[in-house]
Parts: sequence; structure tokens; C-alpha cells
Amino acid sequence: MDVLGEGLLEALRLLLTGDEQTWEITGLTLRVSLTATAIAVLLGVPVAAALALGRFRGRQVLLAVANTGMGLPPVVVGLFVTVLLWRDGPLGALGLLYTPTAMVVAQAAIAVPIVVALTAAALRQVDPDFLLQMRALGATRVRALGALLAEARLPLLAAAMAGFGAVVSEVGAAQMVGGNLAGETRVLTTAAVLATSRGQFALAIAFGLVLLVIAFAVNLAVTLAQHRTTAPR
Amino acid sequence: MSIGCRDLRVSAGGREVVAVSRLDVPAGETLAVLGPNGSGKSTLLRALAHLGGAARSGSVLLDGRTATTTELRRAVAAVLQRPVLQRATVLDNAAAGLRLRGVRRGEARHRARPWLDALGVAQLAGRDARTLSGGEAQRVAIARALAVGPRVLLLDEPFTGLDATTRTDLLADLRAALDRQRAAVLLVTHDREEARALADRTALLVNGEIRQLGPTAEVLDAPADQECATLLGFTTQLPPALTGREVLLVARPERCRPLAGSAPPPPDAVVVEGVLRRVVPLGGAFRLDLDTPAGSLTAVTTAVLTEGPGDAVRVAVAAADLRACR
Repeated sequence: MDVLGEGLLEALRLLLTGDEQTWEITGLTLRVSLTATAIAVLLGVPVAAALALGRFRGRQVLLAVANTGMGLPPVVVGLFVTVLLWRDGPLGALGLLYTPTAMVVAQAAIAVPIVVALTAAALRQVDPDFLLQMRALGATRVRALGALLAEARLPLLAAAMAGFGAVVSEVGAAQMVGGNLAGETRVLTTAAVLATSRGQFALAIAFGLVLLVIAFAVNLAVTLAQHRTTAPR
Repeated sequence: MSIGCRDLRVSAGGREVVAVSRLDVPAGETLAVLGPNGSGKSTLLRALAHLGGAARSGSVLLDGRTATTTELRRAVAAVLQRPVLQRATVLDNAAAGLRLRGVRRGEARHRARPWLDALGVAQLAGRDARTLSGGEAQRVAIARALAVGPRVLLLDEPFTGLDATTRTDLLADLRAALDRQRAAVLLVTHDREEARALADRTALLVNGEIRQLGPTAEVLDAPADQECATLLGFTTQLPPALTGREVLLVARPERCRPLAGSAPPPPDAVVVEGVLRRVVPLGGAFRLDLDTPAGSLTAVTTAVLTEGPGDAVRVAVAAADLRACR
């Protein structure tokens, strides 16, 4: 209990006094995970739209794949990305292993199935005649699709946040493809693991607290957005 | 602008569901397409707007010229059976059609507002559209389509699911709103009264084909064949075997009067005999189901019958109330 109490105090001190290393790690964490989430949204939303609205053979199978992918272990993704980027690997020539870019790639791979599965579910919840009605009012295909995405904006936001939540808190892939290099690829989760293994519990707790604050901030933003758009204007 | 079609055929699931060789709605006219459930009314409406994924052939005409999907998209606004509104205020929903056509938000709202007024929902402008009742939502959906200023307006049973009062009010408001613009209007419905209230001409659609087309009052009063007769409420059908005439005679059940005892029938009436199967109270009136040698027959009367099930009953229909069918 002492360890926890002292750890919490020390963590608060670290955070409040603006420990440079902590903030640097926090910055990189946000940069990597937000970029990965943005990529996952850009790739995942069109795929989800095709899966939710399209009529083609294998659609159900692909939806099942996306749903399965939601539980993809980050370590497995990390392993595959590592193999791909390994010096002798297919993409080894790019020299990306142990860089933030590699971490973005791995985290995007983790987030894509989450975004696809949740977005597809969100789009299927909109009235099945929605697109037809938008077209019936004179919308082009693109405008009608835009209106559909706008209609599903809250669950879409939730899908993006779920993707972000998954990647910001994962440690396996970040560790494997990033290598946890101080000042280069060290993020909050890998830093917390390292600090814990060294017995620097206060530091580890500080990193954990920052992660919790980020999670809370994200959820607060979503909740406020939901409240704003559901309340009558 | 007029809309029409030539040899329009739509298939679904390997079956032809609509086959209309010719249909024209001139600008400023309202045409009702009256048909029973499953007759292909909605399919025809969607095909006319090139909406939906059903396989179609033939051509849709705008001003007599074969129209492309893009031309139809610009000219036509359609209101679907169930109002599909967006997660937004009533005013923004009314403006949505214009927004989807690239009009800026401010101007779209400005142009949509009078239509909310015309449809009697201006006071709801600031409300969340998801809190509306069915009737209110349908009014907003119609205002949204009219706000676009369509040259062709397609209405797919917009009054379905509304209570009688709401429906009557909305019919009156819609009639007034339609009078304000010179669109060609096609109304799909299964309700004769809606056709009567809104349409200059009426087409009867049965099994995907137009069986009858003409001025509404004429069409509603003169069914061409047995299926049209059923559709138009001429459900008392007297086959030649029963009347000795050469053609099928049909009448509205409320025009068929049971004859009391041995009372003589009116001079020009057709009289049929049958056995009373059951009496169904309709609140102020009774529906009589009779078995005749040529099948069952229905009559509606306000008189209290002394006969009961199993008794022989004579039913008279005045010649003026009978229509001859093919």
C-alpha cells in the first residue's frame, strides 16, 4: 500500500512539475496513436461502407473477418510488421523498423478492423431507406453517402475513439516494432513496462496516470459531442 | 415539365413486377396510381425516378424526351412511404433536399421555411426531428421535397399509417401546396379517397399493369374488369350464372339491399337469392355474407334483419348501382 501511495504522490509531482521526459513520451504517444487512428479511419470507413451497404459475394465473410480482427492480439500484429520491416524482409529496404513510422503502421493495422467492424455496424443501424431517400431528393451518390456518414456521425466518432483507445493502450506491437528506444520510440505503455521492470514504480504510475487522463479526455469529448448533437437546438 | 414512360418493365427476383407500356403526367397535373398491395406501385414510382437497384428496361421521358438518370435526379423529388428524417432539427430536415443539391445552408433554410408553413409545421422548426409524431414527420418529409422546387414530384403512399383526422388535414394542406407550383405529380396509393382528393386523373395498376386510366371520377365509378372492381370497392360481384346477364355485374355492398319477407323488388333492380351465412355488425350497419349457387356475396344494410344464419335471403341491387365488367 505504501508503494502505491508513495508512487501516486511521486507521479503527481512528476506530472505537475512538468518532467520533460514524461511529456516527451506523452507527446510521441499521442502523435503515433492519433496518426494510426486517422489512417485507420481513412482506410476503414470506405471498407466499412462497402461491407455495410454493398451487395456482393463474400460480404458476410469479410464482416466476420473484421469482427474477428477486433480481437487481434497486438503482439501478433507486431510480429508480422516486424517480419515485414526486418532488414532482410520484404520491406526491409525502407529501414523503418524501430521508428515511430513502424509503430504507426502496426497500430493502424490493429485499429483498422475495429474501425471497420464498428463503422459497418453503425451504418447498418441507420434507416435502410436513408440512402434511397437522399437519392430521391436529388443527391448524387457521393452526396448521399456523405449524408449517411453525417447521420451516423456519433457511432462513427465512437468507432474512431474505440480504435484510438485500443492503440494508445497496447504495448506488444509498440514494443516489438518500436523497440522502446529512449527519446525515439518510447511511448507511455512501453515506458511503463520498462519502469515497472526496473522497480521505478512512481514513474510507472505516472505514465499510467497520463494514460488514464488521455482515456478520460477522449471519453469526455465523445460524451460532450453526443450531448451537443442530441440536445434540441 | 412532364414525366412519362414507354414500355417500362421492372423485374425483381426473376419475375416481371411492372410492365407499363405508356404513361404520361403533364406539368401541373396530379395523376394517382391506384393499386392493391403488391401491385407494383412503389416499384413503378422508383423506376420512374431511376431509384433503387431493380433491373429495368424501357425509357422514362421528361418533356417527351428519354431522360438520363442525372436529368431525372435534377428534375424529380420523391417522398417515400415512411418519412426518413435526418438527425437534425425540423428546419434543417426541410432544408436537406436543397442542401443535397448544393444550396448553402443559410439559403436552404430560408427557402425551406415557407414550405414548413405551407404544411402547417412551421412552429416545429426548432424541434429535433426525431421527436415528431408520424403525421408531423410526414409533413416535414413532404415540405422537404416541395422545398426543392421539383418539376416532378413523386409521392409514395405518403398518408399510410396516419390517423383519419391527421390524414384529412394533411390531404387538404398538400392539395393547397401542390396548387402553388406547376409540378407534374404522381401519387401512388391504395386509397380511393386520396386519389379523389388529389388527382385529376387516376390509373389503376393491377399485377404491374395499368388496367384503366382516365379522369379520376370516371375511373373510380366504372371498373373495367373484376380486379379493378374489387380495387374500387365494387366487391359485390354477380356473375352471369347468377343474373342471367351476359356480363359480370358489380356493385358496392352498401348499394345492395336485402328484401324483407316477400316484398316485391324495385322495378329495375337485379335480385339474387342466397343463404345467409353470417351477419357482421359494422357499428350502425350490418354486413351480410351470403352463399349463392355462384359463390359468396356481400351486402351492407342499416336495416335490422329478421332472418338469421341459414335462412334464405333475397338481395336487390338497383340498375343504376350496377356496373358491367369484362
